[in-house]
Parts: sequence; C-alpha cells; structure tokens
Amino acid sequence: MSRHDFDVIGKDQKRKDGPKKVKGEHEFADDIQFPMMLHGRIKRSDIGHARIISIDTSKAEALAGVKAVLVGSEAPIKYGIVPQMPTEYALAYQKVRFYGEPVAAVAAVDAETAEKALDLIEIEYEALPVYTTPEQALADGAVKIHEDNKFPGNIAYESDQNFGDVDEAFKNSHYVLGKVFKTSYVNHVFMEPHCAISKFDTNGELFIWSTTQIPHYLHNHLSKVLQMDMNKIHVKVTGVGGAFGGKGEVSNNELISALLARKAGRPVKVLYSRKDVFLQHRGRHPIEMRVKVGVDKEGMITGIDYDGTMDGGSYGGWGLVILFYTAAMLHLPYNVKNVRFNARRIYTNKPTCGAMRGLGGVQPRFALESLLDQIAIDIGMSPYELKKKNAIGFSHETVSGQVVRHSEFRKCLDQAVENSGYLEKHGNLPFGKGIGLAGGYYISGTAYTLYMAYKPHSSAMIRVDNESGVTVYCGATDIGQGSDTVLGMMAAEKFGLPFETIHVVSGDTSLAPFDLGTFASRVTVAAGSAVCKAADNVLKKLKPVAAIQLGVSPEQLEARHGKFYSVFEKSREIDFWKVVEKYIDAHGPLTATGDYTPPRRTGDFKGANIGHSPTYGFSAQCTEVEVDVETGEVRVIRVTEAGDCGQPINPVSVEGQVEGSIIMGMGQALYEELKVGKDGRLLNPSLHDYKIPTAADIPELKTTFVDSYDPESPFGAKEAGEGPIQPVIPAIFNAVYDAIGVRFTEMPITPEKVLKALDEKKKQEGIRS
Amino acid sequence: MHCEPFEYEKPVSLREFESLYAARADDARILAGGTDLMVLIKEKLLAPRLLIDISDLHELRGISWDPRQGLTIMAGTKIAEIERSTLVKEHAPALAYAAANLGSNQVRWMATMAGNICHASPAAETPPVLLAHDCELIIGRQGGERTLPISRFFLSYRKTALESGEYVKAFRLPPLPARAAVAYRFKGLRRAMEIDMLNIGAYLELCEDGQTVSDVRLAMGSVGPTTYRAAVTEKKLKGMPIGEDFFAAACGGVVQEATPIDDVRASAEYRNRVIGVLTRRALEECLEIIGARRSAA
Repeated sequence: MSRHDFDVIGKDQKRKDGPKKVKGEHEFADDIQFPMMLHGRIKRSDIGHARIISIDTSKAEALAGVKAVLVGSEAPIKYGIVPQMPTEYALAYQKVRFYGEPVAAVAAVDAETAEKALDLIEIEYEALPVYTTPEQALADGAVKIHEDNKFPGNIAYESDQNFGDVDEAFKNSHYVLGKVFKTSYVNHVFMEPHCAISKFDTNGELFIWSTTQIPHYLHNHLSKVLQMDMNKIHVKVTGVGGAFGGKGEVSNNELISALLARKAGRPVKVLYSRKDVFLQHRGRHPIEMRVKVGVDKEGMITGIDYDGTMDGGSYGGWGLVILFYTAAMLHLPYNVKNVRFNARRIYTNKPTCGAMRGLGGVQPRFALESLLDQIAIDIGMSPYELKKKNAIGFSHETVSGQVVRHSEFRKCLDQAVENSGYLEKHGNLPFGKGIGLAGGYYISGTAYTLYMAYKPHSSAMIRVDNESGVTVYCGATDIGQGSDTVLGMMAAEKFGLPFETIHVVSGDTSLAPFDLGTFASRVTVAAGSAVCKAADNVLKKLKPVAAIQLGVSPEQLEARHGKFYSVFEKSREIDFWKVVEKYIDAHGPLTATGDYTPPRRTGDFKGANIGHSPTYGFSAQCTEVEVDVETGEVRVIRVTEAGDCGQPINPVSVEGQVEGSIIMGMGQALYEELKVGKDGRLLNPSLHDYKIPTAADIPELKTTFVDSYDPESPFGAKEAGEGPIQPVIPAIFNAVYDAIGVRFTEMPITPEKVLKALDEKKKQEGIRS
Repeated sequence: MHCEPFEYEKPVSLREFESLYAARADDARILAGGTDLMVLIKEKLLAPRLLIDISDLHELRGISWDPRQGLTIMAGTKIAEIERSTLVKEHAPALAYAAANLGSNQVRWMATMAGNICHASPAAETPPVLLAHDCELIIGRQGGERTLPISRFFLSYRKTALESGEYVKAFRLPPLPARAAVAYRFKGLRRAMEIDMLNIGAYLELCEDGQTVSDVRLAMGSVGPTTYRAAVTEKKLKGMPIGEDFFAAACGGVVQEATPIDDVRASAEYRNRVIGVLTRRALEECLEIIGARRSAA
C-alpha cells in the first residue's frame, strides 16, 4: 500500500521496551533507589476553599525519622505550563482552592514515618464558599478563587471568534438544529502514578528522575521555582507508564521532591497514590456546549454556532490553550464557511482540568458529529452521504486560516462504511441494536512554543562509530507510545541497517539535544523530521568517502542492506561499517545534527496562533451497539475504524494507539465520571469506584489504514495517537440513537439514563398516538 | 502505608488456631485472603491488635461431595478454587459462576468464601447463591462446633451471627432435588471487577408434573442492609403453575420486598426497577436448566 519500497518503515517492529516491560525489567521511577534516600509525602487540605491562617509543623518536625518539613511560603513562586499566566504553587500559599490541595510536605526515612508526620501537622483555615460548578462560580457576589485574576469574577479566560456571517447563513438555511451537550469530568487513568526522585550533588547540581511527558518544561519550571540556573539542573525521564496528557504539566510531586531534597540534603522520592493522581488530575474539561448547525437543501453545512462554558477546576494549567484548540477544532474535517465561537473557562474549587488525549477536539466533535447525524436523519439523508458531501478534499484551508496540506478523510469515511456494512445496517436493525458513524481529525504538532521563542521545536544528534554503532540522541520523550522505536526505525531506514542495531537516547536534558516534549501528537512528525535530517547529514559525510572507494559520484549512492551501492550498478558496493571506519580514520568522530521548525501560521484574531499544525491525521468509525432495554445496559459490540495517519511507521503501534483510543473513549461515553461532593471532595478517587472498561468490556475492533502518504512528512507519516479518539464517543451516541431512537446529549450514557429516556419516549409516543 | 501496628500469628494447626483465637477473640481478626480486611485496615476503619493468618491451615481447605450430605466447601478454600472446581461446576454451577465474577483473578486467588460472607457486604457475590441453595454453615470454636442455616447468618449491615470466638469453618450445600436448579444474575456498570449494583440468587423446584412450583427461594443483594430472601414472595409463589402469572408475581413481589437506597453505584429507583428484571431472568434460567436436565434424562 505504500508508494515507497521500504525495508524497515511500515513493517511491524517489536519494541525493545516490550519484553523488558513484560519481565519487569524496564526501569520506572519508583524502581529507582539511592543510598540515604528519603520518602516524601504530601499533606492535603481537608477543605475546598479557604484562606490559610496558620500551619504548625513543630510536632511533625519532632517525630523521629522526619528529616524535612516544607510549607508553601518556602517556595512562593507561581508557575504554570502557560508561562504568561502562572497560577500555581508547589504547595498552597496563603489560600487553598480545592479539597485535597497540597499544603505541606514531609521527607522521612520511610513512607510510614512520613505519613504519620502528616497527621501531626496542624493547619488553621478560614473557610470560603466552595463552588463546584461554573454556575455557582459565576453567580453574583461569588468570591474570586484567584484574587489577581484579570477577568471578571471566576472567568479564567474568555474569547470569541467570528468567521463569515453565521446569522445570515442560518437565515438562508434549509434546516438548522441546535442542542445543548454536556461532557463529563474524566481522568486519564494512566497505569503508572506520578513519581519523582530528586538528588542534589555536593556541587549543588540537581538531578531529577521523573515520569513526565515534558522534560523541557520541567527543567524550566524547576529553574523558576527553585531559583536555580537551568544549567545546574538535569532532568532524566524514566520509563513512563502512560500519560495521555496527564503528565504534560509539571506536577506538584516533582517540585516538592526537589524542594525537600534541597532542604533535607538527601535524595527524596515522592510517589503518588492513585488518590493523589486523581487530585493532581488535569483530565478532560467538562464543557456545556450550546451548538447549532445549519444546512442547505443538499445537506451542505451553512454555518456552525458554538457557545461553550468550560469547567476548569481550580488552576490555569493548559486551559487557555485548550479553549483555543476547541475554537480551531470547529473548522475541520468538514468544509465550513461561517463559524461563530464564544467560550469561557471558569475557575471552580475542584482538581484542575487540563490536557487529555485529543484535547480541544473530543467535546466539540461529540456535539458536531451528533448534530450532523441528527440533521441527516431529519432531512432524510444518510449520515454518511451528508458527511461525505461536506468532508474536506485532499487539501484545504479553513476560514480561520488553518492549512491542511494532506487529507484522505473521504477515504476514511468510505472505508469504515464499506467494511462495517453501515449502509445496509443503519436504520434497519431491530429495536435495541444500532450502528453509528462519526468522523474526526487531529493536529500533528503545533506551530508555536508556549513561550515566545524562535528555536527549532525538535532537534536530534546522531553519532556513528565502529565501537558503539549508531546512537540517536533526541529530546523526544517515549511515554509508552513507542516514539523511541519510531525514531530508531527512521534512522535504520535512512542508513539501510536493521532496527535492532540502532540505539536511541531520549528524554534526558543533559544528554539529548532540545525538544519541546510529547504532546499535541507532535513527536513523529517533528522529532522524526529532526532525526531524518540528522541522518541525511551523516550520509552527506559518508557518501563522499564511499564514492571515492567505489569510483562513482556520491549522488548515485544509496545506503541499504548494510551497504552503500550505486543505484546504477549494484555490484559497485561497499560495507556501511567499512565506510564509517574510513571516515573516522580520516576525519575523526562522526556526528551530525538535524532540527525541525514547523511552518508558522497566524491570523489577525485572538488565539490565531493556536491550532495550526504542519499536517493533520483523520479517521472515521462505524460503531455497533446493543441496548438491553430492560436494564438499560449499553454494550458496544463492534467498532470498524479506518484511519489516515499517512504512512504508518510501525503499524502494530498505530493499531495499539487506535485500539487504546477506542477503549478510552468508550469508557468516557459509558462509564467514567469523577463525582464531587458539595464540599468539593472527590467521591470516587479510586479505581474501585471510578470505572474504566475492563478486558471483558472490549468490543470487537476492526482497525484499518487508508492508503495515504504525506509527501512533506518524514516517510509520509502523520499523527495516530489522538485523532482516533475523536469519533469514538459520537459514534457510540449515534449508534444508541439508531438502536432505541433516543438522542443522548450528556455523557456518560448510564443504564439509569437509558431507562429514564425510554420511559420518556414511551410517554411522548403515547401522547402523539 | 501507615497503619496502627499489630501483631501477626500464623498457626500451623487448627487446634493451635482455635486456642489462640479463643484467647484473643476480642482484639484479633482472622486473616484468610485479606482482600477486604487489609483494605479496611489501610483505610483506618479497623485497627485490630492481632492478625491470625489461617492461609496455611490445610484442615480448612478443600471441596468434597457426598451424595447424602451434599457439597462441602471448607472455609479457607480460595474463590478461584471454587470457580474452577469440577465438583462445584457439577453440583452448584451458579456458585462457580458467582465466584468467577468476584473481583479480579488476583483477588480470587487470595480471597475465600468465608471472608466474602463474614465481611457481610450487601453487594457481595456469593451470599445470594448460598442463600438460594439454603446452605448450612458449620461454625467452629475452641472445643466444638455448631451448624446454622445461612438464612440466619446475616443480622444487619456488616453484622453476622458469629459469637465471640466463633469462626466459619465450612459450607454445606445440600444436594439439589431432581427438577430443581439455582441461577445467579447480577448487574454492574461494566462486565468485570465490579461491585454489583444489584444481584440475585434464585432457587426453583418443580413438582413431579413439571408445571407446578414446589419451592422457590429468591435472595437479593444490594437492595437492603444485607443480602436477604424475599420470604413473603417465596411463600406466595409456592404451588403456582409456571406461566406469566408466576413471573409477574415473582417480579412484583421482589420489588415490594426490596428496600434499596440511593448510593454512588445506582439509585433506589433503578434498583427497584431492575431487581424484577433480574429475578425473571434468573427464574427463566432455572427453568431452562431443569428442562435441559429432563430432556437429557
């Protein structure tokens, strides 16, 4: 299916970390131990919103085995992943803003002693009103959760964008449908809890091992909060047991471990419990969306009107970026000329929402794909036909200026529909059974850094020698998605060597050159481009050496099957390693670098920098469900997916991403929801009570690739980690509509809601007949 | 995990265990699998001074069958052993099924059925089936034992009929008469590793005509402070012919006798509604089993 004849790319590659993880050999942060290492634990607030009057740590300090106790006033420096709007402290300073916020921390000889010491810390609070919903936080006279917030009341940020003329478009529409959609408060539930170990050496340099997606931003934040030069700080990413955006911000435990280590003069590990993970949160924003879509007689979309209120929780985090991502995601994967966006993010007294797989896309996709489904049914058209008609072509520029250089979205729709038998099934299955279609897309990286900078977003260095072989150094972070494998495969393909012989050193700010981190599905395209460029630069050095040996021009040489050979006369060949040896004998060490800067695009409206991407991935899914109309249980039976991720580099890894996305989305559609008490306390912060799908719930998954190759991407590749979650939820909701004729607009669809809706439907039908 | 310090003893014989437990019953807890107990200790809901680990007492392990006495399951038998036992699958298949749906595989290899009933959670998996079987408990203590029908074991929320110094020693499930069957149905949000929103164990016995109900037991979970039987309904159903009236009376009856509350897992309204659905499905399954056995014979 690929247009290129590759030896490594596009072939299922066993990951080097796979067997090590199975055997428990892969090193995660909690596996790391140092002599004299202390264990840090965090005292959390037992109140949802309050001023801190006093903290008495004397009894904790007096407990045998306690080596350091830390409070917020010892590091009163605000930070935040969006550096222009820092809102957070390592430990609460002057105020607590959610139930369970870190207020003090203890380092002790063992975890038990540290926990015992936490009970001895006495904190006096002056209670403030607790707001657990945006409505409460926006009510007249509500206390400001952040006193220095420049927006009115508890609005963390608000913005609007307007393209074309939506009112005029609706006036001239054949049909306009609007509904209110609500998404729920869900967590990533990555397997490995946060863990960080900090250690200062005698020279005062800090070494930190942490399970993070963003070593660079951690580096940067540590420098700020600890007031140290960045060159005295060394960030080392350990094995990462999943992250999905949840480790895409600096976590309190990282800063606390460093602050405690400095104070105690000994290495300190701070490991989170699952409850701590839920409190650190940074999961998906619940959004109440009022969305209207208009179509003409042919079913062509005339306009989209969006109004969204995001429940942000207590701090800023990625919120501002997500708000504008949401704006950008209204424009694709369909051709829309008139778009109005109004949105605000609200502070509430709850654990902070943030980046979660497919951020900015999942909520509007849910609303739009549901509405398009309903509109098609209402005007007597197949949802497939309507979506196909409106789908963007091979390339596209949105009215907001986003440039799609490559799309095979129409192929995705066709392939998913054909493979699932959607056209035969939709509208024709017996009551209780249904099939739903949805499409989606996602960015493959971003156009800008979070702070103003012109440096390349990714860089790589490759070292080749006869002793250690090929080593790729890249700041990109493998968080379990398999980027080390993908980058190694790219180098292997470039050099014509087997993947097994390539070493990848990543996620270490001291060893590897700069990279922004793992988020926005940027790594394959950005870090991949840097690695390819570095490899090309190595070949530029080697080919002239080989050329002289073979008596041919360097331009006609190709590196393949462990050799350099002339493309015109294959018998003129020389062993790759022989050439390396000759090069080093003559010129010394062989290294080269490469880097990548995405195209910068913007516009003259608020938030115009956000949402641009070098290229975009697309997908479509047809999902079949069965509804037990007596108990209300919704069971997903089969998901047929077709994805455009360009050329899949490691197809088996892409399948893993797609399958994981489907299961994650299904959990959010049917089961998952963090529940919050009136006092702001989380009611189900455990995997016992917060329900993610189990192996027994997984449907039949049929994932396929559409024929695709983005010629401007490294080896034709695009994202695959966040796009496939976009259609999951609306496809399920559309299938439930097809099964029982009920249009749900609120996640999750629990058995109770199904029974209530069926009752309501019966009543309505009774009235009508 | 920081918890109050406790002593730990691991007796090597039943006699040693009984004397130790008799001496320290008031501040000791029996540790069999620990899958509930350790959670309570970690959450600081319990702070026993002594844990007596009985996991190595071979006298408390094992499953046996006697045509007159029925199926005997010793208290320390692991849930996973019950799930996999050919004897259980043959003589109490609904119990094997309920066992297979308790927690995760890891939990099932640690947990025991005695622990499951002594924890006395109204949502527990095995009590509805044990009640449907009208199982007899053998209760041990130093120097003696007594038997107690399981219908008298659960007193109230998390309270059992065990006296100080007593422990559950074995379960005895009497042989099922011909034309009788037990079925188990449950409802959780997802399909595994669930605390049930609802569950039910049903026993159905038909008269020789194969049409009339001779006896019925309906044991409901998660609709009250303990797992309990819908006694009034059971009485009403006796002597009824199998048919729509019977099912309607069964479903209507359990809804009358259920006393559910709203909690984090489900609303009382939902439970009231679906307990009837599960009852019907469990009774239909009993009928199917009886029918299949008959046509096989």
